[in-house]
Amino acid sequence: MSGKQFFVDRYSKLGWEHKPVKLRQAIRVNTNNVRETDLVRRLESRGIVLEPIPFLSHAYWIRKSPFSVGATTEYLLGYYSIQEAAAQIPATLFADLEGKIVLDACAAPGGKTVQLADAMHNTGVIIALDVEKRRLTALSNHLERCRVGNTIARHMDARHAARLKIKFDRILLDVPCSGNFAADEEWFQRRTIKDIERNATLQREILKEAAGVLNDEGELVYSTCSLEPEENELNIDWAISHLDLQTEPIVCQGESSPTKVLGIQLDSSVENCRRLWPKLTQGFFVCKLRKGGFSVETD
Amino acid sequence: MKPIDDFVDRFGTNIRLDESLIVDKQGRYFLLNQKLKKLISEDFFYAGLYLGKMKEGLFFPSFNLLAMIAGSKQANKITVDEKTEWLFIVGRDVFKRGILKASGSKSKGAYTLIMNRHGECLGFGRILCNLDDCKGEHKVVARNVSDIGDFLRRERRFKG
Repeated sequence: MSGKQFFVDRYSKLGWEHKPVKLRQAIRVNTNNVRETDLVRRLESRGIVLEPIPFLSHAYWIRKSPFSVGATTEYLLGYYSIQEAAAQIPATLFADLEGKIVLDACAAPGGKTVQLADAMHNTGVIIALDVEKRRLTALSNHLERCRVGNTIARHMDARHAARLKIKFDRILLDVPCSGNFAADEEWFQRRTIKDIERNATLQREILKEAAGVLNDEGELVYSTCSLEPEENELNIDWAISHLDLQTEPIVCQGESSPTKVLGIQLDSSVENCRRLWPKLTQGFFVCKLRKGGFSVETD
Repeated sequence: MKPIDDFVDRFGTNIRLDESLIVDKQGRYFLLNQKLKKLISEDFFYAGLYLGKMKEGLFFPSFNLLAMIAGSKQANKITVDEKTEWLFIVGRDVFKRGILKASGSKSKGAYTLIMNRHGECLGFGRILCNLDDCKGEHKVVARNVSDIGDFLRRERRFKG
């Protein structure tokens, strides 16, 4: 069970016809470090053409640049991060971040950690974990460049987060996943259903640990850049039935998740999740969860 | 912390850091805040604001620390033009013709921050000749010791 046709057929059954896409480079302004209008003016004066991303704040697609946007003085001063548009969504879904104790459980290379710190105005604390030490070095570089001052990075498997003995107000689970073809040209050749099942198992283990360290009133955002239901809707359905978590409605780019996938009927609240098929962004999935009995009214 | 104070002193200024919030992790110095201090444990990898590291008896500052020093009016500074800014962040030295302004010590051997027109710190260097006496627009007057292009060079190492 592998190969392009196998996966494309699955996407078709989920209601999406496969089309190749070309991803656009995107940046996100680190508003703690620079005024957005000043940054835009400076980048435009260098010949960089920016297009605001309509479904995000402080985010722009690069329409044209005479050189790498990763080599400008403004980038090196931490005024912006290069971050794919869909990947900017999860950190925006938390209701309130200032002063909170936040777990970024699979943090490297740190794009979302920096985004969280920016939204927190460097208040509170972020505990950023990653299982790979080498990737923590990349994370640290990112934190230093962007002048993040509220983060503790630790070499730790997210499945051991309970060892920290901390209860978190907010948890971001941007879990390791199988990725998608829009971000990897050889994706169809490299992936089999076995890889996806292996990742889905790991993701459930991380979800279980995270549910255990989440404050009763806390919020958990789960995301992947996978299009495979095993890593997305099926995992959330499992979390609802096994971890006493509830989904929350969210407002963001993407369409409601289907509640029947691969012939399996899921909990109706799975429709609160958002699935982004590759078009304006890479493929992505995102969901907001709370502990059962702690639902909060939304406008 | 002596290594940090000694380093800052070379720029003709001083900055106040709360020593009770500075942690030394095997020669790497981090500035915490009270909330971080409560949650930190010995086996952290990175925390708060990185200030720099000691290696083989030398102190290597972080760009956060350089930015803090740049906040001091008395600190030695050279402000450079746009072309020199580009050259500096790719590791090049500073030519006399690229200097727009210099403040603090202009003497040979002094450490100086290299600033751009926007007042942003690009790194630091060492003055090679007395700036007021130095003749020749094409002469290198400050050697690049460290520049923010290092972030890019590190990123390339991670990818490689």
